[in-house]
Amino acid sequence: MNKQRVMSVALFIVLILAGIITVVPFVWMVLSSFKTNAEISSLHQTLIPQAFTLDNYTSLQSNFNFLRYFANSVFIAVVVTVLVIYISCLCGFVLSKYEFKGKNLIFGFVMMTMMIPWSVTIISRYTMFMKAGLQDTYLSLILPVMVSGFGIFMMKQDIGALPDELLEAARIDGANEFSIFHKIVLPMSKNSISAIAIFQFLWVWEDYLWPYLMIDSEEKQLLAVGLTTFNGRYSTDYGGLFAATTISIIPVLIIYVIFQKRFVAGVAAGAVKG
Amino acid sequence: MFKKKRPLQSKSEIVLRNIVVTFLVVYMGIFLIVPIIMAFLGSFHLWNPLNGTYEFLGLDNYIRMFQYPTFWTAMVNTLIFCAVVVLFRVLLGLGLAYAITSKMTKHKTFFRTVFYMPTVTPLVAVAFVWKIMYNPQFGLIDQVFGLDINWLYSSSLALPAVMVMTIWKDFGYAVILFMSGLLSVPSDYYEASHIDGANAWQTFRSITLPLLKPTMIFVVITSIISYLQAYVPVMVMTKGGPGTSTYLSSYLVYDQAFVKYNFGYASAIAFFILILTAVLTVISFKVTGEKA
Amino acid sequence: MWKKLLAAGMAAAMLMSVTGCGNDQEISHSGVTDTNPNKGLEVIGDNVTYDPNHLINDGEPVTLDWWLWDAADVFGKFAEAYEEIHPNVTINIINNPWDGFWTKLPLALQKGEKGPTLFNVHNSYQHLLLTYMAPYDIATEDLEADFFTAKSHEIDGKIYYTDYGIMTGAIYYNTDMWEAAGLTDADIPKTWDEFREVAKKLTIREDGKLVQAGFNYNGDYQVFMLGIPYQYGTTTFEKDMKTVNFTTEGMLKTAQMLQDFYDVDQVGDKDFGSDAAQSFGQGQSAMVYKWGNYKGTLETNYPDINYGTFEVPAVDGDPFAYDRYNGESTPGINKNASPEQLEVAQDFIRFYMANKDLQKELCMYYNLFPANNALRDDADIMGNPAVAAVAEHIENYIWPGAMPSTLEDNLKIAGQDIMYNHKDIEETLQNAQDIVNVDLANIDFTSSENLYYKYDK
Repeated sequence: MNKQRVMSVALFIVLILAGIITVVPFVWMVLSSFKTNAEISSLHQTLIPQAFTLDNYTSLQSNFNFLRYFANSVFIAVVVTVLVIYISCLCGFVLSKYEFKGKNLIFGFVMMTMMIPWSVTIISRYTMFMKAGLQDTYLSLILPVMVSGFGIFMMKQDIGALPDELLEAARIDGANEFSIFHKIVLPMSKNSISAIAIFQFLWVWEDYLWPYLMIDSEEKQLLAVGLTTFNGRYSTDYGGLFAATTISIIPVLIIYVIFQKRFVAGVAAGAVKG
Repeated sequence: MFKKKRPLQSKSEIVLRNIVVTFLVVYMGIFLIVPIIMAFLGSFHLWNPLNGTYEFLGLDNYIRMFQYPTFWTAMVNTLIFCAVVVLFRVLLGLGLAYAITSKMTKHKTFFRTVFYMPTVTPLVAVAFVWKIMYNPQFGLIDQVFGLDINWLYSSSLALPAVMVMTIWKDFGYAVILFMSGLLSVPSDYYEASHIDGANAWQTFRSITLPLLKPTMIFVVITSIISYLQAYVPVMVMTKGGPGTSTYLSSYLVYDQAFVKYNFGYASAIAFFILILTAVLTVISFKVTGEKA
Repeated sequence: MWKKLLAAGMAAAMLMSVTGCGNDQEISHSGVTDTNPNKGLEVIGDNVTYDPNHLINDGEPVTLDWWLWDAADVFGKFAEAYEEIHPNVTINIINNPWDGFWTKLPLALQKGEKGPTLFNVHNSYQHLLLTYMAPYDIATEDLEADFFTAKSHEIDGKIYYTDYGIMTGAIYYNTDMWEAAGLTDADIPKTWDEFREVAKKLTIREDGKLVQAGFNYNGDYQVFMLGIPYQYGTTTFEKDMKTVNFTTEGMLKTAQMLQDFYDVDQVGDKDFGSDAAQSFGQGQSAMVYKWGNYKGTLETNYPDINYGTFEVPAVDGDPFAYDRYNGESTPGINKNASPEQLEVAQDFIRFYMANKDLQKELCMYYNLFPANNALRDDADIMGNPAVAAVAEHIENYIWPGAMPSTLEDNLKIAGQDIMYNHKDIEETLQNAQDIVNVDLANIDFTSSENLYYKYDK
């Protein structure tokens, strides 16, 4: 019993230490966002701001259209995430539960998409999109990312584990495949869907190069691109960057908190079973 | 594996199958195959779409690549970066997941949420914050530890500094995956081993680890793929410096394509990375697959 | 529920992409018709003149985009002033971040009418932009009569863009530290030998630990190396004006001097403030070598620092050139724009080049020495310390041409290799030279060093 107690205290200490190391950079960033630029780069550092200021936050909106960028980013991230989930589920369903010729070949290609470095395709993709007249539309941001190899892989694993009998029973009751998918498969995949939602939202949220290349007009620009304006040609506005970063992390954290209950189980269903 | 084949296929099943297959084939043709072919052809050209240059060079880009010392520096750095970060990701992930799932730990959700926080933060932002943390004059790290080290400008410490940031950012992903794996181990396995009188380490080695094999494969392979493509930490924190000592191969691609506008040359390097990724993926499948 | 979410998402996406296309249309119909050619306004300018009393595009509404990466307010004044004269013209200012600007701009210029008609130029990206640029519709002699650097921008007798102001390096010093070290204005060094003595006096060590650097060049190695070697009479480019030589006497001696500052004189340290600009702003370094834009950085980030400036020291009293300068460029015109847009753009550029008041504002904003000869004696501009330091010998500054960024990039890498990785100076510079020459072979670039009045003398 005593040995167990020592063990549990040791475990707790390890976890707490790891937790502190994980959290400190966040705390420092948030606190720094309330400091002036001069204080951020001054030699006499304190964790707590000496002269507490909200300027970094208030100047965000006046310096550039922060709220607009923010709203655009939320919109795109939500649309892409919903599309990826739906398409992944649909493809995962067909690729796991149906038998047909060429299935493995198609799945192989899907897996390959995960391996292709972004750098190989980005330039030719740009040329294609420009020729199609898609520049400066949100369609150009949605199209190239709406199919995710990772998502299809996870959903194939998860849906593959659903008992066939369940689907058969529905078929005998006269349900067609579409309603089986929507009424049985989707609701039963909530856990993996949560996992994909968390991954995918972040990927869209932090993507920088592609939106930057495609979007021209300021009123359509995304937040990740807007953040780079703090890193100017000649100098960096640290305070503004900390404030904008702090705000930009919030939506991803909210998404995480919403979906996290099912997250671990979802990852387990999709990725862990070989 | 034996799978019962259903003889009858309903009409709606065929329709759905056709929709999905057509969609995937068309989509991957347009967004994957065509760009890859274009890039492959481009790698044999002096290619700059920005001012319209496209001249055939033959193998020059590939020859130039192998003769360029920075290419080899970048390759060695990438392999070191990849190996070290993947190793720590797996060790930390497994260790902390084991600690969280242990029966003795309370507040499981709290720890899980905390450890996963860095993973859900945008990388560019995190890298920038860490860059300031490494500043020798006012950075958090030197302040806290009372050091006077110019981390990001040291030829021996800059790459490790970038690796530490990357490990911090990403270990939570492995924690979650291993937690999922550990939770799906049926508890009667443990009870059986307890009755057999095995100690914790023996149980871990002979029961937990083999059962975690699929998770392990998944973590290792997705990590290798993503770290071979990593360039953002280096772009933000060191720009490859000091000198060329922290160049990673994907940063080299970024630099050649979007800073120097040598798209043909960049494509050649990108193809080399693609082949390397494929080879390493196959190797890690073989290694992890044959062990158990 | 998922179905509804999806449907909503799809609908919203469609809506967005539709309105996305709709926006262009909307803009082109804004602006009113102008019917009054005789506006009763004065003709402005000296040799390049602008007569506002005419209709542009027959007074019909026309819209064009102007891309820039900075200072939308200041450039916006040109657009506003022009729109006031010609109410039928709408100039949309589009401010893109500097990171990636040069990838995005050339691609956008291929879009013709829908791309930017006007765009700010940085001369180090001339090789990417020139194929898209239309020459100015202004007599080259007139431009060269008004702008003293215009001649160096002449390409086959035409001007595609030129400078509105030029920038170069100077030494910035902390006046409080200067006084504390017992130095006066009489101690301002004219030669590098004097400079080294001053730097030693400004260096403070406590218990062997550096607490105040006399001189800090961390992060500025490449800027130093592209300017100071001219003082020895050696040029960066070979006689062919196409290939570089980084191992000239001037280069090697300058590199050696930089190393001696830290290793022999010990007036600073490579790890003492990884960035000289910041270190000076924090009051840790007494002197830095910086270009004119640094004044703005100090004002924004470090308003409490008291500083002065002086011209870079020289190896002797009459150097071949004190330093290199670089120009801040006037806008380029996209030759793929529509005829209407081109007509307006050419007229706008004439307005821009003739408008001394707004050029003055730009020079003040960026701390530039004005390229327009008429602004040379302007008291406001010359009152700017960054400009005043270089004004006396401005003719003795050389412009090596619109150097591709590979020179600066690779000298930066070389500088870090020498400073932090302890590599041999000559070997490292030789390496950098080889890499740059490979890059230059793929770029159509000719240096204008041989246009400098002392070249070959």
